[in-house]
Order: sequence, then C-alpha cells, then structure tokens
Amino acid sequence: MISVSPKNLMATQTKLDLHNLTAEQKALDIKGLNLFYGEKQALQNITMAIPKGQVTAFIGPSGCGKSTLLRCINRMNDLVDSCRIEGEINLHGENIYSKQVDVAALRRQVGMVFQRPNPFPKSIYENVVYGLRIAGENNRRVLDDAVEQALRSAALWNEVKDRLHESALGLSGGQQQRLVIARAIAIEPEVLLLDEPTSALDPISTLTIEELINDLKKQFTVVIVTHNMQQAARVSDQTAFMYMGDLIEYNDTNTLFTTPDKKKTEDYITGRYG
Amino acid sequence: MDNLNIGRHISGQFNEDLERVINHVMQMGGLVEKQLSDALSAVDDSDESLANLVLTSDDKINQYEVNIDDECTRIIAKRQPAAGDLRLIMAIVKTIADLERIGDEAQKIAQVALESLTSAHKDMLLNLDNLGRRVLECLQSTLDAFTRMDVETAIKIHKSDDKIDREYEALMRQLMTYMMEEPRSIPQIMSVIWSARALERIGDRCQNICEYIIYFVNGKVVRHCAPE
Repeated sequence: MISVSPKNLMATQTKLDLHNLTAEQKALDIKGLNLFYGEKQALQNITMAIPKGQVTAFIGPSGCGKSTLLRCINRMNDLVDSCRIEGEINLHGENIYSKQVDVAALRRQVGMVFQRPNPFPKSIYENVVYGLRIAGENNRRVLDDAVEQALRSAALWNEVKDRLHESALGLSGGQQQRLVIARAIAIEPEVLLLDEPTSALDPISTLTIEELINDLKKQFTVVIVTHNMQQAARVSDQTAFMYMGDLIEYNDTNTLFTTPDKKKTEDYITGRYG
Repeated sequence: MDNLNIGRHISGQFNEDLERVINHVMQMGGLVEKQLSDALSAVDDSDESLANLVLTSDDKINQYEVNIDDECTRIIAKRQPAAGDLRLIMAIVKTIADLERIGDEAQKIAQVALESLTSAHKDMLLNLDNLGRRVLECLQSTLDAFTRMDVETAIKIHKSDDKIDREYEALMRQLMTYMMEEPRSIPQIMSVIWSARALERIGDRCQNICEYIIYFVNGKVVRHCAPE
C-alpha cells in the first residue's frame, strides 16, 4: 500500500531559488548589465540568472527596457550605432560580449522570433532549412528530417506537410509565426528569445503559440517579452518586472501574480497608477 | 477602506465594480449582524414575532450571497484581477459563504425562541446570554476589521475565539449535569445545546473571515495554523 503524506497530495512543481541557482541550473547569467543609447541609460545594473529548460517572461510598461534586455541576449543591439554595453551575459560561463565570441555562432545558440512573423518569400521548406543551409548543410535527407522535426516541434507539421514547397507567404498569420519559430528551432539553439510573439495574432492563434511555448521548454530555454500580463502568467515559470530600465522584481510567476514583493509590481499588474 | 486601496486603478469602471461589490458585502454583513442580534433578543425575551422575522429574513441574506458571488464571477471574467485585487475577490467569495452560514446559525437560534419551554428551562436559556453577547461582539469586530481590512484586529479576534470555545465547553458541562440530574428535561436542554453549538460555530466562522482578511492584506495563508 502506498502511503501519501498530506503535503504530497497536492504536490506542485518545486520552486527554484532564482537568486541562488547552481551553474547547472543556469542557462544565462546576466551580471551588472548597463546599456546606454548615446547619453541615455536604458538598462541599469541588471543582474539575474535565467534557469535552463524553463520559460522566463519580461514584463513592464513601454520603454522599460524589456525588449532591449532581450535583444542583448543575442547581441542584436550591436546593430545600433549609439549603443554601449557594460557588464556581462554569460552563456556556459563565457561572456557573450567578450571579443573572442563569434556573433554568428552565438546567434545559432540563441535564436530569436519577433513580434511580426517575417517568413522569407520562399517555400515553407526553404524557410525552415535556411539556417542549416547557411551553416553548410546540403544533405537532402538531413534537411528533410530537420524540416519534419522542426515543424512538428512548432505544432505546424500536420497543417503544412502536404504543401511544403508552396510559398510561406500563403500561410495565415498564426501559421507564419509558428513557421518562424520552426525556422528558429531547426538549427537547435539552446535559448529561444520571443519578442512579443503573439501581439499581431488573433486569440486562437495566440493560444496555439502559448501551447507551443509550453512544449518548447522541454527542449529549449525560452525567454519571452510580452505586453500581455495574462500571457506571462499563463506561459512562464518565472517573471521579471522591469520599470524605467531597472529590474524591479524577479520572482516565481505564481508568486509574482498573487503576492508580489514590491509595491511597484503590484501597481503595474493590477493596473494602478504608479 | 484605506487598506483596500481600490480607488487607484486606471480603469474607473473597475474601481466602481470593486466598490459596488464591497458595499454589498458590508450590507450583507450588517444584515447578518442584525439577524444574530434579533435571534438572541428573541430567545432572551421569548419574542415569537421577532423569531419569525429572523426566520423569514434569511432569504435576503441568501440572495445577497448569490448576487455577490455573481458579481465576483463577472469581475474575474472581465478583469482577470491579479495580486491584491485577486486576493480581495477570493477573500470576498469566501467571506460571503461564511456570512451566509452565520445567517443559518442565527435561524437555528431563533427557532429555540419558538419552542414552548417551561420557566425552569427558560432559566437555562439565560446561560446562553453570556456566550451570545460575546459571539455578537466577535461578529461586530470581525465586520469592522473587514471594512477596514485591519490585520491587527483580525489577529486579535482570531486569538479570542479560544475564549468563546472555553465558554462553550463550560456551558456544555453545565447542561450535561442538568441532563444527568433530570433526564426528563433532555429534549428541552438539547434545544439549548443546539443554540450554544450554533453560537460556537459562528465564532469559528468569524475566525475564518479574520483569516481571509490576513490573506488579503499580507498574502499569507494562516488557515490551520496560528495567524501570527
């Protein structure tokens, strides 16, 4: 006979201690990150560790720095001339901002999906294998396998398997966004960055993508920026609330949305004036 | 209402929705308090008409419970409240369930006033008086604490339930002695016991409401443990 103690009856997922993660638990370790656009400081001394195999959400009002922080993780801000960055973002213990890091290799490890689906004007198949072809992979069998695998992971395979060689532009918005996710995961990154991935989609496509995010965390570490607080509450394991370039609170999502530690967080998530 | 902090939402409509539902809880609380006070007076004065009034007024309390429940459901569906707002809605939904049950207990007490008791048994009912007054005070303080969302008062009331329990036990011992001494009076004494039991349960329900106040303000679940 199995004895069950009352505590175990309603056992929920064990909570991580976000401020004391071990090296194995960390996917990314951000330390003292400051970012300036010219004279203006957009991120102020951000220090946080993002755990592996989980979904981490960044929330906050417009201009709080959440997308800027997300873009720092695969060095998208390098493309902005006036941008200056101090501090570290460590992936496997190596600072991604050190001079030795090859940015193209980094972006293979850290994939990104943007707000508006941006499929290339090519076939569905070619969209998915784009990254692999750039990496020099031309073996038909390998590419076929990768396409099926990525489209299945992106919950799109059943909808497009009979028209892989048709234009990707013929897909609906929600399907295009899932195709873009398939393209990002085809090169098997470790971290997947999602910048408001559903803000241009209808509620049903949004739910499909949210369901997909939940599946993706089995294989990848997912970091998502969203304006939709309920979405952050639904899909993420931990949530970071940012305000005017500061990281105000970084907490387990269940705690942050029921009993936040900081008043600013409470005011934001309950829709009050700050 | 200060601790409630409900007037600062960007959505004025949301402020109004919350204010309306809180006002309804307070009206319901006032009605429940009156029911208990009337039930105790009816027993004290053997006032049958007052007892009948208590029995018929319970419908209003039930209706309040249904309406407030409905308002909370609509707020959850339309506003998806989070953090303090979510805790407030949860606290309200649970509080009104307890208030409705307190109304039912008041009805049980009023029922005793309708029973034909001999003068000797009426003396026994006097024993209920102390317990009744203490429980009524407890309910009044609980409703005050809820109105102000006052955690300190809630913790004090929570602790003071021990006194009600002790008084209830003493009364039970006394009534059992009566029953042993005079077995023929058992049916009448049972009525007094049911009333005492109802009062003791009201104390427990006040304690529950205090736990919801503490949960709303501090975000701490203190059920089944000491609130401090």
